[in-house]
Formats: sequence, structure tokens, C-alpha cells
Amino acid sequence: MPALNGFLWLVSYWLIGEVTVYFTGLPVSSGVVGMLLLTATLAVWGRVPSTIAAAAQPLIGLLAMLIMPGVVGVFFILDELAGQWLAILCALIVGTLLSVTTTLWLLKRLMEKMHAR
Amino acid sequence: MPANALLSTLSTTPLFAVGLTLAAFLLGNLIFKRLKKPTWLPAILIAALLLAATLAAIGLPYDTYRQDAAWLTFLLGPATVALGMPLYQQLPHIRALWRPLTICLPIAATLAACYALLIAWMLGSSPLILASIAAKSVTAPIAIGITEQIGGSVALLLGALLITGVATAAFVSLAARFLNIEDERIIGFALGLNGHAIGTVRAFEISPAAGAFASLGMSLTGIFTALMLPFAWHLIGAGG
Repeated sequence: MPALNGFLWLVSYWLIGEVTVYFTGLPVSSGVVGMLLLTATLAVWGRVPSTIAAAAQPLIGLLAMLIMPGVVGVFFILDELAGQWLAILCALIVGTLLSVTTTLWLLKRLMEKMHAR
Repeated sequence: MPANALLSTLSTTPLFAVGLTLAAFLLGNLIFKRLKKPTWLPAILIAALLLAATLAAIGLPYDTYRQDAAWLTFLLGPATVALGMPLYQQLPHIRALWRPLTICLPIAATLAACYALLIAWMLGSSPLILASIAAKSVTAPIAIGITEQIGGSVALLLGALLITGVATAAFVSLAARFLNIEDERIIGFALGLNGHAIGTVRAFEISPAAGAFASLGMSLTGIFTALMLPFAWHLIGAGG
């Protein structure tokens, strides 16, 4: 049962994240805290145990399915947001075009600078 | 009516909602492959449309469905933790390029949120909408946590993620041509940073190197935004 063993690791890290958030009051989700703790632990070990890989790999592959019940919800709030959609679409599409261009240009400049040295 | 009785019998167990979700997801993926994987119509959008149409057709209220489907969605917690594994595997990339990446990431990830927020704010969007689209470039499991923290609508956020991902996949190739960029590491990083998982899938279609940098951009943006956005939101909320 390597996958089950790995799943227990993932659940435990999430619970540790939950406890950390509860006691520190950090405005960050338990999953993110658990993820950072897992990265740090793996960095200390220097490798990924096969049990964790056996649980993490399929879970990451299923992410799209896990968010589907939420994605479907957007079709059921279309009425509530009537009249707001044009602004939202405009913000998302124009905003994304601007930020994509900025990221590409900025990283290109920074990497050229690094190579110039 | 017998049809109503049948529906209420079936929906007494969460397995009905779970089954519907699995069926829509697999069918969506199948149709996506049959259509030769169009960039503008990701598999998850096909699956969500199928599922929404099915719920409407059989008359199952969305709230009932969502409660039952929680049997699936509670796995999002451990799945978010699981993202720590690919992040660890990319640590060598981070070390090799740490200087340009540490300068680029905070600026680009902040702007990814601010451009959209600024445009929406200028067009008169409500605070609820602003809180819902702020995490638009962050990968879904992390973005859901952020949005719950700052009081946005998760349903609207997920719609915003879908639109942002599709737009990123389309705009990156366009902008890269315009800026004369051929380095797959830069293109991949931009895809992951702005277009989260949808951009990362697109990057893996370009090359494995682009894919690795996209995963890196996606993870770092997720962490940076998860740590900074709730704090920034509280500060602005307290100030204004």
C-alpha cells in the first residue's frame, strides 16, 4: 500500500498546516502551508520517497476533476452577475495580455543582463 | 411523478453527484482529444459545460450537487500539499536562475493581479467581484484558499481562472513573436506564471523545458500570491 502510506503523509501535512494556521492566524490556506513544509522536508531528505510520489502523482493528475464541482458553479451565478460580465471579461482578457507581455519582456531583459556579466 | 421520485432516490447518496462528475470529466477529456486538443477550448471547460447542462436537464439543484460532490472536493487539501513534490523537483532550476527569477517573480506576479484589478475597478466592479478575480493567475487549489481568505466568490474565481488560462495560452505565443523571444524557458515561465495549470499544459506541448519552467512559474506565483495577497488585502481594507 505505498499510495495509501503516501496519502497519509499528505493528509498529515495538511493537518499540520491547519494547526499552524489556527495558532498563528496567518491569512494563508492550510494547503499552502502544508505544501511549503513538504517541499522543505523533501529538500532536507534530498529525494522523494516512492510512497509520497505514488500518492502525489495521481492526485496532481486529478486536480482538474477536483475543481470541476466549483467550476460548474459559475454557470449558476450568471444571472446574479448580469450587467457585470463585460467589465469582468474586459479586466481578465486585457489584464492578461498586459501581464503576459510584461513578464516576457522583463524576464528577457533580466536574463540578458545575467549573460552579459 | 416517477421521474422526480427517481431523482430524489438517486440523490439521497453522494455517489450520484460523484458519478456525474467522473462521467462528465472523462467524457470531456474524450471529446477534447477527438477535437484535436484546441487551445481555446480546454477539456475542463467541455466537462463543466456537459455537467452544467446535465444538472439543468435532470433538475438537480446546484447546491445539492455541490454538497454531495464535497466527497471529491475535500481531496483538494491533500492535492495542494502534493504540489510540494514538483516544486522540490524544480529546486535546481530555481538555483541556476535565482537572480533573474527572484527579481522577475514578485513584479510579474503582482502585476498579473493588479492589471486586472485596476481595469475592473475603473469599470466600476463591486468589491465582491474584485476579491473574486484577484487570484486569477494562481493555480486553482491555492487560489480557492486565497479567495476564501479575502471573501470572494469561489464560483466566479474558477470562471476567471478558466478565462485567464485560455487567454494566456493564446497571448503568450503572440507576444513572444512580437517581442522576438525564442527562449523556451522564458515562454514557459510566462505561461505558468500567468496561466497557472492551463498555461502549464500548453507549455508541455511546446517542449519539456518550457513545461518545467511553466510548473516553476506556476508554483512560485502560487506561493508568492498566497503569502502576499491576503496581507495586502487586509492592509488596503484597514486603510480604506
